[in-house]
Amino acid sequence: MAHVHLEDGALSLPWLAFWSAIALALIALALYLLRRKSVSTRTLAIAAMCASVGFAASQIEIPLFGGLHLNLTPLIGILVGPPLGTLVALVINVFGAAVGHGGWGTISVNTIVNSIEVVLGFYAYRLMRAQMKSGRFAPGFGATALALVVSAFVAGGIMLVSGIQDSHLTGEEALPSLSVLIAANIITGIGEGFVTGYIISFIGRVRPDLLAHAEGLSPTAAEKTIPEGSANV
Amino acid sequence: MSRRSYSKHIPDFRLVTYFAESGDSPVHRMNPWTKASLLLIVVGLVTVLTELWALVSLFVLTMAFYAIAKLPVRVLVGWWTLPIMFVLTLSVLFAFTEPGNQLAGIDLLGWRIALTENGLMLIVKLLLRALVVVNYSLALFMTTRYTSIAYIAFRTLPKTLANMFLLSYRFMFETTDEVSDVLDAMQARSGSLAKGVTRQTRIFAGIVGISFVHAFERAERIAKAMEARGFAGEFPAVQKVPGPSSRGIALLVLASIAFALATYSRYFEEKLLMWW
Repeated sequence: MAHVHLEDGALSLPWLAFWSAIALALIALALYLLRRKSVSTRTLAIAAMCASVGFAASQIEIPLFGGLHLNLTPLIGILVGPPLGTLVALVINVFGAAVGHGGWGTISVNTIVNSIEVVLGFYAYRLMRAQMKSGRFAPGFGATALALVVSAFVAGGIMLVSGIQDSHLTGEEALPSLSVLIAANIITGIGEGFVTGYIISFIGRVRPDLLAHAEGLSPTAAEKTIPEGSANV
Repeated sequence: MSRRSYSKHIPDFRLVTYFAESGDSPVHRMNPWTKASLLLIVVGLVTVLTELWALVSLFVLTMAFYAIAKLPVRVLVGWWTLPIMFVLTLSVLFAFTEPGNQLAGIDLLGWRIALTENGLMLIVKLLLRALVVVNYSLALFMTTRYTSIAYIAFRTLPKTLANMFLLSYRFMFETTDEVSDVLDAMQARSGSLAKGVTRQTRIFAGIVGISFVHAFERAERIAKAMEARGFAGEFPAVQKVPGPSSRGIALLVLASIAFALATYSRYFEEKLLMWW
């Protein structure tokens, strides 16, 4: 739940323009990195599938504390890598905006926050997986929790810097309220870390080749680790 | 309608598509370029307008737009739940700390928590802004055919992004159904997502994990099928969408002038909108 769940009109026009420029630069960078090695049909289909599953899963409401939902961006980063993951997060945000789950204008802010989650999720998982050979749960949990805790602070920072339209509070006065939001996002992020840890463990058991990119393995080496009958999962 | 949507509070893409493909109203017949451009202007307007009367007027206009499209208002009101929840989550924290005249308050453990006029106005304005865009956005997607959206996406987005966007949209129905099926299966066995923390985490992880594994397998099959049919990196645009008509251009020019005036009034000359 580490989106900046701001609806349209919450940020002022100058700040919206500022964050949009940064988000456009991130998207341009992701597209540039992808085009350096041509995007195969398989990669395209996998990214699209990830976006649709990510969107569908993030709409499931867990009936706790008035309704929680998960973000899954660190997981997407681990599965498809940072450049493609950034674009997948963008597509999910566009679908979300179409149904009122975040605003159109705040797609830019969400993309910045989600890109951080995707990049941190991927590299933290790779690093932790290399360090901890015991299993996939701990790296999955650690990478996701780290990514979401950092992104919660980034999201709070964005709101603190930009301010909320029509609010008369100064940054200093708004800090306690924002701290509550950041704390709530950190708690949810740690919860999502547990969920992602289990998901990574599950995927690692049935299709370890899907984690090959994040684990720094070659596709052929990863394919040898696929258990028999995994296609029937 | 999907076999079972998650909640009546979350817009169902099948219902949205159903109205877009089968509806017949003046808004359905409106040029898709005009409608899409107006979305940007509506987002811009709610960003720069701060007067309550202006936001209420915009809200009424978007409701009228939705009603002219002959779309079900009751469904829309149900779909407001999500944006209202998001606005309240944020603004409630601010509303009780805003300076100004106190409307109500209580003393709690030595702390005074009070709702002020400014706080209440903050909630109302943020709600109006959010709902204006939700009304218009849903009206746009519930009155514009997939082929038109696809054409606009290919003309405005980089090719990789447009391909991803359109493929995801096509996959959305199947993945939503699959996730719904897993939730159905869980509930049929008297399961619930609200169990103990560990159990709940494992249940949710199982649902999402299976969905992702199936998604990858399906994507691999689809990629092979696409290549076998000669996919060369771009989906053929089946239906070209012509540019806006002269009336559409006039509407866009008027809306752009309104946006430009509102922006000028907000950031350069505060009293411009009140000149009369």
